[in-house]
This record gives sequence, structure tokens and C-alpha cells, in this order.
Amino acid sequence: MLSTFLSHQRKSFWRSRNKGGSIATQIIIGFFMLYFLVIAVGVGFGMTIFLPKIFPNQNVMTSFNGIILYYFAFDFLMRLQLQDIPTLSIIPYLHLKISKRKIINFLNAKALFSAFNVWPLFLFFPFIFLKIGAVEGPLVALMYVIAILSIMVFNNYFVLYLKRKSITNILFTLIGLAIVGTFAALEYYKVISIMAASNFVFSQMTTRPYLGLIFPGVAAAMFVINSNYLRRNLYVEEMGAKQEKKVSTDYPFLNRFGKAGELAALELKLILRHKRPRYSVIMGAIFLLYGFLFYKAPYIASDSFAKMIFAAIFMTGFSILSYGQFMFAWQSSHFDGLLINKIDFKDYIKGKFLLFTIICTIVTILASFYAFLSPKLLLLHLAAYLYNIGFCTVLVLYLATFNYKRIDITRSASFNFQGMGATQWILMIPFVLLPYLIYLPFGYLNRPYLGLMAIGFFGLVMLAMRSYWINYIAKKLELKRYKIAEGFRE
Amino acid sequence: MILEVKNLQKVYGDKTVVNIDDLQIVAGETVGLVGNNGAGKTTFFRMLLDLIRPTQGEVLSKGENVMHNGDWKNYTASFLDEGFLIDYLTPEEYFIFIGSLHNMSVADVSAYLTQYSEFFNGEILNSGKYIRDFSKGNQVKVGIAAALMQKPEILILDEPFANLDPTTQIRLKNLLKAQAGNMTTFISSHDLNHVTDVCHRIILVEKGRIIKDFKTDENTLQELESYFSA
Repeated sequence: MLSTFLSHQRKSFWRSRNKGGSIATQIIIGFFMLYFLVIAVGVGFGMTIFLPKIFPNQNVMTSFNGIILYYFAFDFLMRLQLQDIPTLSIIPYLHLKISKRKIINFLNAKALFSAFNVWPLFLFFPFIFLKIGAVEGPLVALMYVIAILSIMVFNNYFVLYLKRKSITNILFTLIGLAIVGTFAALEYYKVISIMAASNFVFSQMTTRPYLGLIFPGVAAAMFVINSNYLRRNLYVEEMGAKQEKKVSTDYPFLNRFGKAGELAALELKLILRHKRPRYSVIMGAIFLLYGFLFYKAPYIASDSFAKMIFAAIFMTGFSILSYGQFMFAWQSSHFDGLLINKIDFKDYIKGKFLLFTIICTIVTILASFYAFLSPKLLLLHLAAYLYNIGFCTVLVLYLATFNYKRIDITRSASFNFQGMGATQWILMIPFVLLPYLIYLPFGYLNRPYLGLMAIGFFGLVMLAMRSYWINYIAKKLELKRYKIAEGFRE
Repeated sequence: MILEVKNLQKVYGDKTVVNIDDLQIVAGETVGLVGNNGAGKTTFFRMLLDLIRPTQGEVLSKGENVMHNGDWKNYTASFLDEGFLIDYLTPEEYFIFIGSLHNMSVADVSAYLTQYSEFFNGEILNSGKYIRDFSKGNQVKVGIAAALMQKPEILILDEPFANLDPTTQIRLKNLLKAQAGNMTTFISSHDLNHVTDVCHRIILVEKGRIIKDFKTDENTLQELESYFSA
């Protein structure tokens, strides 16, 4: 039976409607996996060398034992975010003459096919075989292997269990990260030590190998708890996320902008109520840390804005770019509805500009914490901000009129490349190059502030021309409406 | 003549999906479009609503080509499928949004909605759900109510009776009949009983062509049944 299920899975992949897209996605994910795998192998084999360097004052074994629990704590948090619950695929089988036990076995087996269950093998096993096996003997090495596998299995099913009980969200992950971070800090300041605890656990196993049997016991218990939970709740609606009561919201702030404001509010709800667009905007907040890589003290001291302008523009404009690259397609499921209703194309485009301006303004305000590095950076950000709301918005919306690919926004965010096309890459080129072209002459003349002013001025000019651009893009959209709507209907 | 169709054609590849030489609809008529799957009903409606570009010909709404400007949107409301709903909104938000496009205040919208409490059967408003979480029948109700709320002169509905429960089907029929005369209604349906009951004029299409166009009388249902059973 299991093999039948798996063969159906295989068919569903190969015969899916957007096969090309999903294969491309798989290949990209494959590369990522390979990349991480290579790193894992490298780290795994290099551990005998790395560990003494990182923890010079202690025995290699102590260090190795110490990092195991840390690794699995992070593993746990990563899984909480990234590991999917394999559920939807079983709906067609639930009403058939197939015992629940078999369906559960299938779900459990499928859950094991995850990259998270591969990395630990490459990370820890080389050290175990090369070092522990040689020093402590094969029995201890075997117990280590069993322990690592068990913790891995435990994490695997524990995360699924938590997800099934829908007691997980991004907040929990953040809290978890904070907790692990706190422990690391406590470790650093030598208040309490997880490493010592981790070491204690595993060093006990070295002296008394039979203690290692506790790990598979715990893993088996988790497996049984998870399976029992599944058996009791094998109903489609109970396996997904729990429904909470939805409330109507209104953004009075946007009402003052008339119809464009209404449309912007509509889109704001779209962003807030779907994972994928929310994610693409939140990424902008994460990229705020980018500045720490680029804003180096010597650059700031010498006013070398050329080296920092990319970071500034990227940080303040990333949200526009990452959300805007799929522009209009976010609304593909109800694009027909927008067309037949009394919505002026100009208002529609105005709404988009408004939304972008609001998002970009918020991000720029958030980015002003870099002022503590140097207040000069605020000027840099101001120039980048004007460039983004003036030029980047126009560029994104113009290119959006070439995007005919439907997006299903209800699907998950991570590793979702649906709707990607050449436009997204073309978008990057002028976005990155133009500010350099404007700045460069001033940079050569050693007039960095004039360069910033030029970029800002360019943004202002584009901003002053906004109504022209609104008309222009609205016209484009009007011309292409049939083609866009047709693409979105598929 | 509120709606005129002239020499309208839509060709996909080598297949002509819609091919209508001439169709005239007078203001206040209630017209039913009947035909088997693949007869081109939805494609035809989409062209009426300027959602797809005709290969040839034109649709005139109050004498103006719907492709040339959006004035027809001021007095035309429609519901073809769920793609017309913004499904991540609550029904209230959706009604308020549609209302705002026609300059209705929030108070206007809620006043309007009170008369539909029977139609909604207590399941739509204050349900604490997004439209996407509703059953298909309830989604259709939201779509139809939002269309009627715009007080349109032309109403276009694609298979409005499908997915509705019997009670709501009857209520919808009564709603549509009550509007007859004031509003030009154009509906398609697979339900011959309902369509002959509601409509004063029936247009029968097959493979994109109009093969019959007649006023309904007591024999219409039988005529249609004999046509479709042949």
C-alpha cells in the first residue's frame, strides 16, 4: 500500500499542471540542498580541526558533546518554520477502503523525506566514526549514531505534532530563537551552560553506553504520541490550521485618498491576510540589517557613498521590489472582478503608488536607526528614499504590465517560485545601475554630497512627474488588460 | 436598445466559440441564455463585460462600444464566477468596497443589506469568516447581492441558480421577477424550469450560434425540453 501511495505522489508531481515551474523549483531547491549538504559534509569532516580552534581550552570530545543539543535546538526552530505537514495529499484516500493505520503510516513515512533528516547525518557521523569510533570503540560510536538518529526522529515528529495542534506560528519561533539566544548569552557569560549539560548527557553515554538506549525510547514515545493523535483526528478539517474568527477592518487613514485609498486599503488587506505577500514585505524588514555589511567606518569617514549607495537603495526599496515583482498577479484570482467593477485604471495605479509610498516610508523610518553609526547615513537614506518612491515605483509598475503569470497566493511562501519570469530579473538591472550612473561623475569630482543630491533630485523629478506616469501606466494596463486577465484566469 | 451585439465572433485556434450576427436587447427585458456546455455562454458574457477581446465585431451598451470606455460600468453589474469576488475579505468588507465604488457610504450599504437578511438566511453577515471560507452557494449569494446592490440598469448573471439551495433559488427568482421592467436582466442557466419562469425571452445557443430567440409562453418549457432531449 505504501508503495501505491508513493507512486501516486510521484505521478502527482510529474503530471501537475505547472510541471515546468515545479521542476524548476525542485532544481533550485535541489541546489540549495546540495549547497548546504556540501557545507554539512565539510563541517562534518572538518570538525576534528574546527572544534579545537573554536573552543581552544577544552577537550575535543567535550566540545563535540556540547554542540549536539545546540544543533538540535536550532534544528527544531528551523523545522517549525520550514517543515510542511504532509496532509492534503491523503484526502482522496480517506473515504476509501483503506485502514487508517495505513494512511497514518504513509503520512509518517512521508514526513521523514525532509532535508532536515539528512543534514545531521553528514554533520555528526564523520566525527563519530573517525574520532569516537577510534578512541572509544565501536559500541560507543554505535550508541552515538543511535542517539543522533533518535533526536532527529524526535524533532521530526515533535514539530509535526506541534504543527498539527496548530500551536505554532512565527511568534513561537521568534520566542524560541530568543530563548536559545539567551542560553547562548548565559553560556558566554558563564552563568549556566547548555554545553556543559549537553556534554554531561553524552559523556555519560561514553562511560555507560547502555544509557544511549534512552534516546530511541523517547523518540519512539514521540512517534507513538504523534501517530495516536493522527489516528484520533484523521479528519481533513482538523488537520489543517484552526480557524479563528475573522473581523472586518477599516483603515481610516487611507480613506482620505478617495478611491485610490480604498484600493490601497484593499491591497493592504491582501498583504496582511496571505502568507506569501506578507513574507515578501517582511523580507524588506530583514534586509534592514544589510547596512551592517556595507556601512563600514572608513567608508563613512571618507564619504565614500558609492560603496554604500547600493545598500541604502536596496534596504529602503527591497519591499517595493520583492512585492512589486509580482505586481497585479497578487490579485490574479479576482482580477476579472476588478475589471468589471467601476474602477478607473488611473485610480488603480494611484492606489499602488500610494501603497508603495507608505511601505517605503515606513521602511525608511525604520532604517534611520543607522543614524547611530553616523547622521550622514540619514542623508544617504533620504536620497535612496526619494529614488525609490520616485523611480523604483514607476519601474516596478511599468514592468508589472508585462506580467501575465497567475499566482496562487494561498500557497506557502518559502521556496515558492510560481510566477517568476524574466521580468523579475530585468527589473534588477536599471534599479541597481541607475543610481551609480547618476552618482559617478560627482564621485570622480570628489563631490559626494552633490552626488547624493543628484540622486535625490532625480527621485524628486520623477515624483513630480508622478501624475504623468500614472496616466502612462494606466494606459498601458488598459491596452494589455485582456492579455493580463487571460493569463491570470489560467 | 440598451444592449446591441453586432457580428460578434470569438475564435480560439480554428474553433469559433462565439458567432453572433445580431442581437438586440431592449431596456427592461429579462433574457435567458440557454445552451449545453461548450455553447459559448460564458465566453459571450465575458465579451459583454469586456473581459476578453472579441476576434471580430462589437458589443454596444447604450450605443457605445464597451471596449472604448468604461462608462457601461456605471450601470452594469454582474456575477459570472468566484473570480469576481475578492475572497480574502469578509462579506461586509466586500459590500462596503463595492458600495464605495458607487459612492455609497457605509451606512447606505448596511441599510441596503438589511433587506437581504432573508436571502442570506443568517449565514453571511457577521459570520466571522472570509469569503473564501464560505461554501460555494454562499459565495454566489454574496456575489449576487453585491451585484444587485449597485442598482444596475443591466444585470448579468452566469448560472446563478447552480450551487444555490432550493429555498434560495426560489427567493432569487422572486427577486429577479420583482425587478422585471426596471432592470435589463441577462442570465444563463441550465435549469429550464427556472429560466422559463423568470425570463420573458429565451435565447438558445449551440456551438456559439443563436439558433432560437423567442418570447416565453406556456409552451416554452416543453419546447426547450424537446429540443434538449433530441
